[in-house]
Amino acid sequence: MLLAFRCALASQRVSATAIEANEFPQLAQELGVYAVPRIVVDGEPRWDGSVPEAEFLRRILA
Amino acid sequence: MTMRNADRLASMPLLRPEEETKLRGWFAELQRPVELLVALGPEETPRPGSGDVDFGEEMVRVCEGLAELGGCVTCRVEDEPEGFPRFPAVSVRPEGRDVGVRYDGLPWGYELGSLVGAIVDAGRAEPTLRPESLEALEDLDRDLTLDVFVTPT
Repeated sequence: MLLAFRCALASQRVSATAIEANEFPQLAQELGVYAVPRIVVDGEPRWDGSVPEAEFLRRILA
Repeated sequence: MTMRNADRLASMPLLRPEEETKLRGWFAELQRPVELLVALGPEETPRPGSGDVDFGEEMVRVCEGLAELGGCVTCRVEDEPEGFPRFPAVSVRPEGRDVGVRYDGLPWGYELGSLVGAIVDAGRAEPTLRPESLEALEDLDRDLTLDVFVTPT
């Protein structure tokens, strides 16, 4: 989660929100959240799980 | 006598003494003020077993509790402010500016660490990413929205 926050703090172009899946079950269901952390980029589910910083950047910018 | 979940929660300390000491140390080193803007409003269905817990009230308790640990951290509460699609939520704002760092829902359990991490990073004058990551972000020519679904455990 922290990597997403760090990207938002580093760039005005990026916003990052942590969403507590249990508390927003409808949204979590819509985005097929079965494992966490689930990373959603521009509204599109992209991957589950933590990755190193370089890989995180590569994936969100792909 | 039975105790309501909300009362039980309210009587629980937010942090263990050793955690509180550690956070006080981190918050003392912040290089700029960080505001926690707590947004309250209509909430979705409570999680099973949460019973009578008022998530908004608990969010305020958590954020005010964190703000008490460092002079640079403040907490403000608003009812349904603009730009918040879900409640409760907290926006982490360096020098009171909305830079797009938000936590929707209660940062329970391990997730309290994410909120604390956001505060510590927001309080730094310089970004904490590696230089090559910063370069990659500098080249970004469009807005990017990251949502990360988390759970407390």
